[in-house]
Amino acid sequence: MSLFSIRDLTVDVPDRRLLHGLTLDLPPGRMTALIGHNGSGKSTLLKVLARQIAPSGGTVAFEDRPLPGWHARDYARRLAFLPQHPPPAEGMTVRELVALGRYPWHGALGRFGPGDHDAVARAMDECGMTPFAGQLVDTLSGGERQRAWLAMMVAQQAGTLLLDEPISALDIAHQVEVLALVRRMCHKAGRSAVIVLHEVNMAARFCDHVVALKGGHMALQGDPAGLMRPDALEHIYGLPMQVLTRPDGSPVAVPA
Amino acid sequence: MTARLLPFALLAALLWAMAALHLLPLAQWPAWPLDPARMDIPQILLGFGLMPRGVVALLAGAGLGLSGAILQAVLRNPVADPTTLGISAGAQLALVIATMLAPSLLDGGRWPVAMTGAGLAAGLVLAIGARRGFAPVTMVIAGMLVGMTASAVATAMTLARGEYLLSLVIWNGGSLVQGDWSGVRVLAGVLAFGAVASALLARPLRVLSLGAEGASGLGLNVAGVRLLAVGVAVVLAGAVSAELGLIAFVGLAAPALARTMGAASIPRLLALSPLIGALILSVCDGLVLLVADHVGEMFPTGALTGLIGGPLLIWLLPRLRGSTPPGTERAEGPAPRRDRPAPLLAGMALALVIAALVLVWIGRVPGGWAVLDAESAAAFLPMRLPRLIAAAAAGASLAIAGAILQRLTANPLASPEVLGVSGGAAMGYAGVVYLAAAPTAAMLMMGTMAGGAVTLAMVAAFVSRREMPAERVLLAGIAVSALAAAVLSAAMAAGDARSFQILGWLSGSSSAVTMPGALALATLAAVLWAGALAARRWLAVLPLGAGIAGGLGLPLRRARLLLIALAGMATGAATVLVGPLSFVGLMAPHLARRLGLARPGDHVAGAALIGAGLMLAADFGARMAGFPYDLPLGLFASLIGAPWLIWLMTRPPR
Repeated sequence: MSLFSIRDLTVDVPDRRLLHGLTLDLPPGRMTALIGHNGSGKSTLLKVLARQIAPSGGTVAFEDRPLPGWHARDYARRLAFLPQHPPPAEGMTVRELVALGRYPWHGALGRFGPGDHDAVARAMDECGMTPFAGQLVDTLSGGERQRAWLAMMVAQQAGTLLLDEPISALDIAHQVEVLALVRRMCHKAGRSAVIVLHEVNMAARFCDHVVALKGGHMALQGDPAGLMRPDALEHIYGLPMQVLTRPDGSPVAVPA
Repeated sequence: MTARLLPFALLAALLWAMAALHLLPLAQWPAWPLDPARMDIPQILLGFGLMPRGVVALLAGAGLGLSGAILQAVLRNPVADPTTLGISAGAQLALVIATMLAPSLLDGGRWPVAMTGAGLAAGLVLAIGARRGFAPVTMVIAGMLVGMTASAVATAMTLARGEYLLSLVIWNGGSLVQGDWSGVRVLAGVLAFGAVASALLARPLRVLSLGAEGASGLGLNVAGVRLLAVGVAVVLAGAVSAELGLIAFVGLAAPALARTMGAASIPRLLALSPLIGALILSVCDGLVLLVADHVGEMFPTGALTGLIGGPLLIWLLPRLRGSTPPGTERAEGPAPRRDRPAPLLAGMALALVIAALVLVWIGRVPGGWAVLDAESAAAFLPMRLPRLIAAAAAGASLAIAGAILQRLTANPLASPEVLGVSGGAAMGYAGVVYLAAAPTAAMLMMGTMAGGAVTLAMVAAFVSRREMPAERVLLAGIAVSALAAAVLSAAMAAGDARSFQILGWLSGSSSAVTMPGALALATLAAVLWAGALAARRWLAVLPLGAGIAGGLGLPLRRARLLLIALAGMATGAATVLVGPLSFVGLMAPHLARRLGLARPGDHVAGAALIGAGLMLAADFGARMAGFPYDLPLGLFASLIGAPWLIWLMTRPPR
């Protein structure tokens, strides 16, 4: 069973086609990076998977069920999505934000029971947010805020996480911290993750599987080792690239 | 691209020529130069009525178009125009005050008076804007606040002096009827000044379009250019206001149309907008003439520009590109948050009850104040209690609607008033007054509620498009408000008894409330409160945006529709009582939030209590200030609310 099976997916906006008949399977239980140049369609693809935008053509199935067949709350119980620019969540404490992740389970009127409290506590613990529980989200630093949002997704108890450029606004230390957290969440708890990333070295270092898009077409799919080759990178980014080897043997790409 | 304007120019010319030929065949047209002594009546009507009228339409349209283009360029705000920035309303208020209190001021022409009012209003709006880096949405909200306050005061004064009603209403609606060529001379002079000034300002404005920091980096005196440009725009708009009255939308539509026709650079925008403005107003006036030829002069041209301009703007909205740099809209810093809101809420509820009890028992008597004894209390209670209950319930309903809308749109400045809901409610009321033979209170209430809900649904259609920026939503609201204003002024220009009923209601009065009506309103407020509390989880998630809400499996469509219906009902019901002109729906939720009520349930509850309290205070003030006469309640509420909001907005962001 594949996590997502995408067939002939096209997405059009007025005057432009963002995705051109994409056919692709994403593996479950892995941390998958979506990479590509600006405007390659990687964020569009993620938003289609999150059901934030409807495809213009083709089909997408999640866990072998087509997307339109999923009820909104059932989908949210199975899959959590974090947009690129999470809102400031003004006036909300971290605990309240994380508790919003329980919405797919209790709905608009259901009781917020002991199970929900438990899930919130565990989610904050997993993301290291327990010490911040009573703080206002808008007073946190960028990295802490991102971890608070990740905790909300954990509280959703979804098996699949979709993240749209989760590290684009963070400094390098927090980038590593957040990606390491996502990796831990995947590998320790058996979750799947699909992450849009700008930074190819981060994708290669933290992800198990890479999908590269170029101009709305698929450019490459495979493991990070296949990505970190000068010819593959030049094909994706249209720029001569050099791959250096670090002392520990892992590759680093730089513009040639 | 100017070729595309040609059909409209032909249409305008054709409409005018039809009216002119209907008046007098071409062979009998007076010879130039015009000499009234040698002309018969139809010739005078043509030479000193229709002819200057045609020219005035062109000149005024061009002036408004240019004024709007300058304002939009200098403020980098696609929504700016003399109407949305309150400039026209300021001129209107100044003229109304002068007409009633000091008619001798008008001896020197309406010009200086109108210009003073327009200048003061523009100055106030700019003072607010300057604190926020001229953020577009803030500017428009400030302009609407100033404009609505000015209109409220003008309405109150108009009501107080009924004998001036008709001429003022027609003037407010923007009538282009001319009696001689003096209007042409004045407007031509002003337009020539505007043309020269804008030619000189074109290059500095282009540099300013880089933003204040970029422009001053290039050595531009930003403050000076802004002051000059706004000054020119005020002169243009003020002159048109003085000559013709309120002509909404031309200044907004002309640059917007110019931009969709490809006028990207500021010099082209400044050149094309007056042309388009002139054509818009000419075509509108031609249509009014066409109707006038057949059924008599029905309504002022300014009402028609609103009628055409509103839908036009709604059609334009998706085509407008946001020209707002991100991050210019700043709220006034993070609001505090209270960990334990229960004591505060309890205190507010207690204060409300005490205030209500006190207000029942004290009152004004000729020559002073009095506390009622038991006997007169029994006599007064049946009169005072219903209006207290009704006022408090209306305030609470408006506040709940405001809290819901602010959370739904994630915009702290959203409110029933700003989003056009009140305007739609007013149209619903007017529709019932005009269409039903003998409207009952229930019918009026239904009509008002339906109007509010329909408007809100229209605005919500814009909100529901993903990532719709706040300025578009506000544009939609403003479009609806202007449409409502146009319909109302067209209706009122008819000038019969129904006009007085509508005008009286517009300013809001609680004196005619019956006990069953008050209790119905109170029940409704309680139901709405319960509904909002039941939806509090939606209200917590929705401010986080469609991405998060959709990701959590929230039924976005259904939630929005339900909440909008709730807010629309609340607004409609309250608007029946207090009229569309109150700021309680904007003020109360804002105040509740500033008091640290952050969670949705607390926020709604606090806003409802504050709204009820504000309306009680307004009712008391309306009852006492003009003793022994009642002042309109909604009017009094906006006189309390607007200055407070303006003060709030002039505070620097922390």
